Amino acid sequence: MSLGIAGMGWITPLGSGVDLVWERLLQGEEATAEKITEQFGEQSYSAFRVPNLALANLPPHPRLRRASLISRFAAAAGLEALQTAGVEADPRNTDRIALVFAISNGGVIYTKRFYRDIVEAGAQAASPLLFPETVFNAPASHLAAILGITGATYTLVGDSAVGLLAIRMAEDLMTNQELEYCLVVGAEEVDWLLCDAYRRWRLLRLAPPVEPFSDVSQGMILSEGAGAVLLARHGLIMIDHIHPGGYYRRRTEAEGVLNRILCDLSQTEIDLVVSSANGTFIDQAECKTLRQIVPEAFVYTPKPALGESVGAAGLWQVIVGAQALRRGELPPVLHGAPTIPLRISALRMSVATADHAIVLSCGINQQIAGLRLRKESETQII
Amino acid sequence: MDQFLSKLPKSAVADRRNITARVAVVAAGVVSPLGFGLSETLESLQEARDCITRVTRFSVAECRCKTAGQVSDERLLSNRSKADRAQRLHRASHMMISALGEALAQSPQFKPELTIVGTTSGGMSYGEDYLRALNRRDSLRHSPTWIANYPAQKPVLDAQETFGISAPCQVIANACASGTNAIGHAFECVRSGRYERILTGGYDALSELVFVGFDSLQASTPEKCRPFDRDRTGMVLGEGAAILALENLDAARARGARVLAEVTGYGMSTDNFHITQPDPSGIGPRRAMERALQSAQISADAIDYINAHGTATPFNDAAEGKAISELFGRVPVSSTKSMMGHSLGAAGAVEVIVCLLALQHQFLPGNINFRAPDENIDLNVIANKARPAALRTVLSNSFGFGGTNASIAIRKFEA
Repeated sequence: MSLGIAGMGWITPLGSGVDLVWERLLQGEEATAEKITEQFGEQSYSAFRVPNLALANLPPHPRLRRASLISRFAAAAGLEALQTAGVEADPRNTDRIALVFAISNGGVIYTKRFYRDIVEAGAQAASPLLFPETVFNAPASHLAAILGITGATYTLVGDSAVGLLAIRMAEDLMTNQELEYCLVVGAEEVDWLLCDAYRRWRLLRLAPPVEPFSDVSQGMILSEGAGAVLLARHGLIMIDHIHPGGYYRRRTEAEGVLNRILCDLSQTEIDLVVSSANGTFIDQAECKTLRQIVPEAFVYTPKPALGESVGAAGLWQVIVGAQALRRGELPPVLHGAPTIPLRISALRMSVATADHAIVLSCGINQQIAGLRLRKESETQII
Repeated sequence: MDQFLSKLPKSAVADRRNITARVAVVAAGVVSPLGFGLSETLESLQEARDCITRVTRFSVAECRCKTAGQVSDERLLSNRSKADRAQRLHRASHMMISALGEALAQSPQFKPELTIVGTTSGGMSYGEDYLRALNRRDSLRHSPTWIANYPAQKPVLDAQETFGISAPCQVIANACASGTNAIGHAFECVRSGRYERILTGGYDALSELVFVGFDSLQASTPEKCRPFDRDRTGMVLGEGAAILALENLDAARARGARVLAEVTGYGMSTDNFHITQPDPSGIGPRRAMERALQSAQISADAIDYINAHGTATPFNDAAEGKAISELFGRVPVSSTKSMMGHSLGAAGAVEVIVCLLALQHQFLPGNINFRAPDENIDLNVIANKARPAALRTVLSNSFGFGGTNASIAIRKFEA
């Protein structure tokens, strides 16, 4: 089944709004890293944060009064996706819009605060206001309440492949003809605790740059924000094939899983690939497979510019892929070594004739997923 | 930004798909405070055992509630392999391995195309260990193990790896409705014809953060858990894992698989009233149950038993009780959480297995600790003891934080 992209929303460390972020990526801009410190850790980390101004236009809603950052990001992206599609959620269609939410670490800021109070001052210090915000589906619940969605609402948890798995789930849901739209949102917020955990896991580097497809993986930089894609049955950009995904038990198996997924997605001639390369061990497996299966495709990764936003990352990549096909341009790949054996460009480049793109998400915690985008020609639509 | 849909024809025809497949449960496995495996679970249900005990995993000295339904570590960990990897896995992984192992033993040829599992907190206790060590500046020697085994998908992947399954997995975190949502979504995926075989279920292991969280909301009780009782004061938490193997009925028959029951309907709704409280009108649960009936293409009088969400909190039971009584009248109802506690992401899956056993062995599971009916809830509560009954179709409810409501219909298999 093919799904159309009816609208998109984007909140990133480079700002908010699909057009604005896209233009800044095309200009070769990179988010500015902020130092993050914490009272119980001596090490400071760098992360790409969403600027405060990016949420300035978020309309007030009682559900957002005490909500965590991740919920605000999700609300802003979700509202933009509906707005760009010209869809207004109202009581006549709220049963006909499903919400699938992709998340990895969830509301880590409130979760840390809630549990730290318990550790430092005992169970009596636990806040009943914070606890509900620690639940994985809190952001989805807030967004559903803001939009008035009363039908299917799902939160999917996983690694950075979860965004594409959420789109696959949306495709499964859309087999129900009662549904007109499925809003897929991915969101994440950054905290020192996450940086510390990924660093101890040897996946994070202390400061930018993110060097994609590097021979020696230096690690990633975490980022935050949200991406939203409103799926309908038709659109100018279609998602025409979604692989159900796979997982690797050991790092050495990642290449095999990637190979299967890419072979499945590349039955049609592929013009470009939006890769998930983020400076970690997984890049090498991705590089080898891309070189082997789609050697002629242009390859772009947004993560050197925007960082690794984990739960939001897959949605960000889909937005990049859709924008590249719609606008006929690819932004420059930042910090890529000239020796990378793939068709990547350090300069903004035209892909005006491109009509098929693969979006590939290789998670760092065993999950891999991919999908294919297709640009509809005007004659096909009309 | 230009409109994506501006050039679309108004009369575009949607892709239509027949929804005709019947969905069989061909295998099941469970670990819960009621016991390890289907046999022990059945025995506990038929004897209406109270499996709630004092919490031993962490200090509850400062909490109102001191009890929970707990899975015995002694038994859970006794069968684990001596390999380093097995020693490092989270308890949740061991529960999943145990439940999946039982299910696959019943249907070794079952090769899933997809796994859909519900949870609320993944390997949360490892996250707690990590934060506590950081905060107290203790040794972080074990932190790689804690971090690697914390993600919610890890117990699912661990269980799959143990049995050589490589299906992609979707982990649904819809709070306390997660398990039912996972099974319901899996059911719809098989029924739509997109998949032939899916592994589904739910898991959750007790954690201090969650326990204290519910205590802070005063949702958990310092007394006994008494669902639908006039004097109910709240829930007790639990833990466990349950797995179901769902298969297209024709495919199951073709390979000669034993069919345990059929899943026939699923409904869900989102109730935007409050993040932790249901709409007192019961509209959320009601919509979920109505949609499950609609999906099963049956009327309310076809339901012989309802395994209620029944947390024993004043708000949940009032809203759910109102919805049940308005839709079903005097259908027998029980909340088996009274025996084993509320295992959150596992609850829906464990309770579907309770329904499956009730259908197979033709009995109504009891709602223990029940003393006096609530005059505001007109329900036919199966008080304190299990009793024999002729059951054909039953309903299982799960509702969660964030206003997620899910209901699933299961039918006795008749060839």
